[in-house]
Amino acid sequence: MTDSLGLLGVDQAELDSCVACGLCLPHCPTYRVTGADTHSPRGRIALMRVVDEGIAPLSDEIVESFDSCIQCRACETACPGDVPFGHLLEATKEFVETTQRRAPWWLKLGLRGLTRPRLLRFVSSSLAVAQRLRLVPSRRMGIPERLPVRRRALRPTGDDVWLFTGCVMDAWQRDVHLATKEVVEATGTTVRPTGDAAPCCGALHTHAGLGDDARKLAARVISALDGDNAILVNSAGCGAALKDYGRLLDSDEARAFSERVLDVHEWLADRIDQIEMPDAQARTGGRVAIQDPCHVRHVQGTHMAVRRVLEPFVSELVELDDEGMCCGAGGAFSLVQRQLALDVRDRKTAAIDRAEADVVVSANPGCSMHLAAAGHAVRHPVELIAEALRSR
Amino acid sequence: MRLGRRNRQGGARHDRTDRCVADLVGALGPERVRADGAARHLASADASMFSDGTAGPVCFPDSTEHVQAVMRVAASHDRAVLPRGAGSGLSGGAAPLGDPIVVSTTRMNRVLEVDAEDRVAWVQPGVVNLDLSRQVAPLGLHFAPDPSSQQVCTIGGNVANNSGGPHCLAYGVTSAHVLAVEVVLSSGEAVVLGGLDAEPSGYDLRGAFVGSEGMFGIATKIAVRLTPDPESIKTLLLSFDSVADAAATVGAVIASGLVPAAVEMMDQRCVAAVEDFVQAGYPREAAAVLLIEVDGLSRGVEADTRKVAEIGRAHGGNVRVAADEEERALLWKGRKSAFGAIARVAPDYYLHDTVVPRSKLVEVLKAVYEIVDRHDLVAVNVFHAGDGNLHPLLAYDSRQPGANERVAAAGQEILEVSLAVGGVLSGEHGIGVEKRDFMEFQFTAADLEQQALLRRSFDPHCRLNPGKVLPSAHSCADVASLSASRPDGVWG
Amino acid sequence: MITPPVIDDEALLAFAAEIGPRDPVVVRGGGTQWDVGGAPNGDVREVRAPSGIVEYRPDEMTVCVRAGTTVAELHAALAENGQRTALPDGSGLPDGSGLPDGSGWPDGSGWPDGSGLPDGSGLPDGSGRPDGSGLPDGSGPCGSSPSTVGGAIAVGRSPVTRLGDGHLRDAVLQLHYVAADGRLVTAGGPTVKNVSGFDMCRILVGSLGTLGCIGDVILRTRPIPEHEQWAKLDDIEPQIVLNTVKTATAVLWDGSAVWARLAGHQVDVEDDLARLPDAPETPPPELPPFRWSRRPKDLYRLGEETGRFVAEIGVGVVHCERPDPDPPPIPAGVAALNRRVRDLFDPDRRFNPGRSVERT
Ligand SMILES: Cc1cc2nc3c(=O)[nH]c(=O)nc-3n(C[C@H](O)[C@H](O)[C@@H](O)COP(=O)(O)OP(=O)(O)OC[C@H]3O[C@@H](n4cnc5c(N)ncnc54)[C@H](O)[C@@H]3O)c2cc1C
Ligand SMILES: Cc1cc2nc3c(=O)[nH]c(=O)nc-3n(C[C@H](O)[C@H](O)[C@H](O)COP(=O)(O)OP(=O)(O)OC[C@H]3O[C@@H](n4cnc5c(N)ncnc54)[C@H](O)[C@@H]3O)c2cc1C
Ligand code: SF4
Ligand code: SF4
Repeated sequence: MTDSLGLLGVDQAELDSCVACGLCLPHCPTYRVTGADTHSPRGRIALMRVVDEGIAPLSDEIVESFDSCIQCRACETACPGDVPFGHLLEATKEFVETTQRRAPWWLKLGLRGLTRPRLLRFVSSSLAVAQRLRLVPSRRMGIPERLPVRRRALRPTGDDVWLFTGCVMDAWQRDVHLATKEVVEATGTTVRPTGDAAPCCGALHTHAGLGDDARKLAARVISALDGDNAILVNSAGCGAALKDYGRLLDSDEARAFSERVLDVHEWLADRIDQIEMPDAQARTGGRVAIQDPCHVRHVQGTHMAVRRVLEPFVSELVELDDEGMCCGAGGAFSLVQRQLALDVRDRKTAAIDRAEADVVVSANPGCSMHLAAAGHAVRHPVELIAEALRSR
Repeated sequence: MRLGRRNRQGGARHDRTDRCVADLVGALGPERVRADGAARHLASADASMFSDGTAGPVCFPDSTEHVQAVMRVAASHDRAVLPRGAGSGLSGGAAPLGDPIVVSTTRMNRVLEVDAEDRVAWVQPGVVNLDLSRQVAPLGLHFAPDPSSQQVCTIGGNVANNSGGPHCLAYGVTSAHVLAVEVVLSSGEAVVLGGLDAEPSGYDLRGAFVGSEGMFGIATKIAVRLTPDPESIKTLLLSFDSVADAAATVGAVIASGLVPAAVEMMDQRCVAAVEDFVQAGYPREAAAVLLIEVDGLSRGVEADTRKVAEIGRAHGGNVRVAADEEERALLWKGRKSAFGAIARVAPDYYLHDTVVPRSKLVEVLKAVYEIVDRHDLVAVNVFHAGDGNLHPLLAYDSRQPGANERVAAAGQEILEVSLAVGGVLSGEHGIGVEKRDFMEFQFTAADLEQQALLRRSFDPHCRLNPGKVLPSAHSCADVASLSASRPDGVWG
Repeated sequence: MITPPVIDDEALLAFAAEIGPRDPVVVRGGGTQWDVGGAPNGDVREVRAPSGIVEYRPDEMTVCVRAGTTVAELHAALAENGQRTALPDGSGLPDGSGLPDGSGWPDGSGWPDGSGLPDGSGLPDGSGRPDGSGLPDGSGPCGSSPSTVGGAIAVGRSPVTRLGDGHLRDAVLQLHYVAADGRLVTAGGPTVKNVSGFDMCRILVGSLGTLGCIGDVILRTRPIPEHEQWAKLDDIEPQIVLNTVKTATAVLWDGSAVWARLAGHQVDVEDDLARLPDAPETPPPELPPFRWSRRPKDLYRLGEETGRFVAEIGVGVVHCERPDPDPPPIPAGVAALNRRVRDLFDPDRRFNPGRSVERT
């Protein structure tokens, strides 16, 4: 078998590792809601193949097939043949973007904005004020209904571990960072937030096919966070992206960096007995349903850790019966593919309703915003832990 | 047998479809018809590597009326129609010949009615097999046919292929679990075959439809029987130093008067592959392992477990009984991952499917090893030993020169060996295009003519899924030329 | 190249030759269900299917038997290996001997003029059949009814134990039949699992001899359970019995009492009995002669029109004293399909002329 490169520039052996069995189909959120083979992993791979071999032109429908992928990578978990779907699709999107420059201008502009934290916070606060004045239709714009106008300061307590703060999350959900810090510190560890030096992980850029931007951001983050300290991440998407720098930049330095990255639950799971447990009354009440962000469950595989760390702090943890199906957020996906994102979310909403949950926990800012917009009470797992610790 | 590269032909546009597409759009609305190259390309193949034709327009009906409308448009344009479920079939059943209009059932995916009292559910054909079982699980019921593809395959596909699975040993294949089917015939008329009453009068058209591989009509509603969950289940893992001992154990278990829920066998090559993939705790050194499951009431299950264990030990086997649900799930995970484990070995696979008398298992397995070795192929065996249903899985790389030919030759030899000992062409995957030309190995001209009569009773014009199952001499004349003239490709 | 197995059974070839390619014919079995579908027209040549067990393979759980063999003889032979088939043999019926005394049958007229009666006088020609000594003495699993394997398959009605043992059609693996053009045809295949080609066996089961004349058949056998018994229950909802008695292979109900047939491991039957209030071992009442077909849930809505009845709970067959005044209708589309099947398989209507699968 020769490892040749076609137009997509991916290893053809990787493309060929799909045997078209179809076992991934039911796990794909977009195939589930449309039933179209063009919206399935198997279909997308088959189309990558004809594009790669130059058999088919890059038609609108083919591009739509790739663009409609949420990149949740549930298909990877389901695939018996370990087809590296995520990487194949990223390469494909980059090919499409370089040959056709398809990404909408506003998306590109928005993504650039993510790398400028002060600007982001300014715009965000302005939006928040505009919301209070009812000047913006939040739901239609896909932004949280009550953005914070002001943020509490996030100060370092030492250098034991980094806490990766990221872009949108820092601007919109700083409370989650504060809670994370509180919980990590409860294990007797000091925390240094990464702040504006490492402004954005570049995940959204990668997903949009803006490979160059993503690689630049990765280099910037790596150089900002030198040393050997563990880098804790509380956003599933960012964690997955940072862990993938090794592959993205293909350098030893990047690989060493990625080794240091840990999902915060993954890190906490090994230290949970260092925290003084709350008694039963102090546990956060109600039925708490776990919604696994795809980048926790299918990419990082840390979803069991979330359960392990959360369980002692809540009174009732319930599982959704949809086997970790994507909620439809997918980073910028919910903005670019509005209808599909909503259809996918409807399935999630139904599962949450079936679970009769009072609150949903989700460890990814995109998912929580997307679900909150559907009227669910959504919290980050560490927020519930922090609350339980406070009422101890 | 024609094996090819997995679905990647190109070609030029043809515009015969345009008027037909317009009519389909008129009947169904634009959102339910796709005539672009991407959609057609993907509807041109199933999970097998047989793809000789290209799909015409692809329709996504959500109701019986939609399917009827498609059928009428097809008739007015004299076009063939191909029903398609999840496309997980392995015999090319859903891979088009010619350029038929494709009717995808994926949007007809609702469970319409569950009647727990009578243990019946009406479902649309696009409902995924496992989804149905999951949905009725709270009632203590399940849909018994459990193909290894159950997470993806549709009930419509199960009906069309009369699919089986590990637990069909005790519970019977799909046919035994289908009470009635609403079918849209090639005329566009919808009829309900069978019924929910005990003995619907007339011929058993329901029974004839099950297993008709999309050639008799399109199932638009299916009444399936739901089976109560057993009170108790025990799973045993038996390992042996020789395939012969394992096979003899299968025979002895069956002959002892036990009816196990499942009896699955894996050979050493398979166990090794599975253990590399998921650590299920199978003994790598064993020449063959058996996974035997017994179910029923708890005391009887205990007795059966003891009996199976005794028989296994008497044949030199090492016996392990899964202690809890977790261990049981792990053992089954191993069995169900076998396919994936081998799929990682090479980019293409050919999953064979023949049935032989249980007493011939050892003989046939020996022949299978000999055949694949002679053709320099990698094969593992993992199969439903309880009913003699062999599934040699051949992994290969179709880009290697001559690989397709070697696989085809080995496949045919395995078939011949199976038939020679009194076996049959297929136990669950169906004939499709894969084994169409071998039908004459098993059936005489008179037999095939009778099968053609049955098909013509349902579809006088041979409009549905033409060119499958029956060798061309016994097929309808108007489609005999199908494979000769391959239509143009899908990329305009 | 491999060729299909050649049919070399002399008896089968002679049967095909006798049927030939033309003229109306009808196969007579034991004549016990002769009126089902209406009696054939008067001037029809009657033929008999060959009889005898061709090959019994207990380890494969299959038996190849000629269609003229009586179910009684077949089951007697299988019983020696602790097996039987899903064909009706009367076991479990009222008097245990399984022998209808005539009263249990449609007005007695269903019996071919008494010649088909157990005295053996009505037997085909004596040749295909043991001299009577081979017949179970009545103490066995079945009586000595003359009803044949071919007749049972052609009629396609399962015994009362269908609930637990499955439909008899699911036991039919392969059939050799003579088609209307006189050729011998193979339907299905010899193995316990098979999806090679269209399912021709299904269309023949229950076809009342109108599509082909069955010469021999390969049937799936099943082990006779370790323990079997009837239990009678009063004052209990039949549906509750159906849902709680896990070993039930039949649940019969006459509108007041319930009879459950329990079969399986002795211990399991004991456990099931322990779950029930008070269930003495009592065989069910005789089955009235007429057979109605209902949805299982509709059994609880039967009214006066049945007369005395015995309903098969969970299945939907009702044995009644009167013919069904209101049988489920046959939709026009289905009737047309039925007609097309018959027209294509037997364009001259030479098989069983006058008989119809749509009339019961
Ligand atoms: C004790 C006992 C009790 C039974 N109780 C019942 C009962 O309650 N209800 C019930 O429905 N059944 C019952 N049966 C089963 C019934 O006898 C069978 O349906 C069946 O065996 C009839 O067989 P026969 O040989 O008498 O058929 P016949 O009456 O001779 O024939 C019936 C029909 O089948 C056709 N036929 C017969 N042989 C062939 C052939 N070789 N090829 C093609 N067509 C053929 C005939 O032409 C005719 O149309 C009972 C059987 C026994 C032994
Ligand atoms: C990994 C793997 C494991 C498998 N394991 C098993 C197994 O254990 N047992 C087994 O039996 N099979 C198995 N299969 C084969 C396959 O999954 C089954 O045949 C399945 O029933 C096909 O269902 P589908 O929905 O994918 O149908 P498709 O592949 O889409 O279609 C199959 C056939 O059904 C027809 N069809 C589909 N829907 C309709 C309809 N509504 N009306 C009329 N015709 C229709 C099509 O025209 C075609 O001829 C396996 C396949 C794979 C890939
Ligand atoms: S990444 Fe998610 S949306 Fe994309 S093909 Fe895979 S399962 Fe479907
Ligand atoms: S991606 Fe994996 S699961 Fe999906 S069709 Fe390909 S091999 Fe099968």
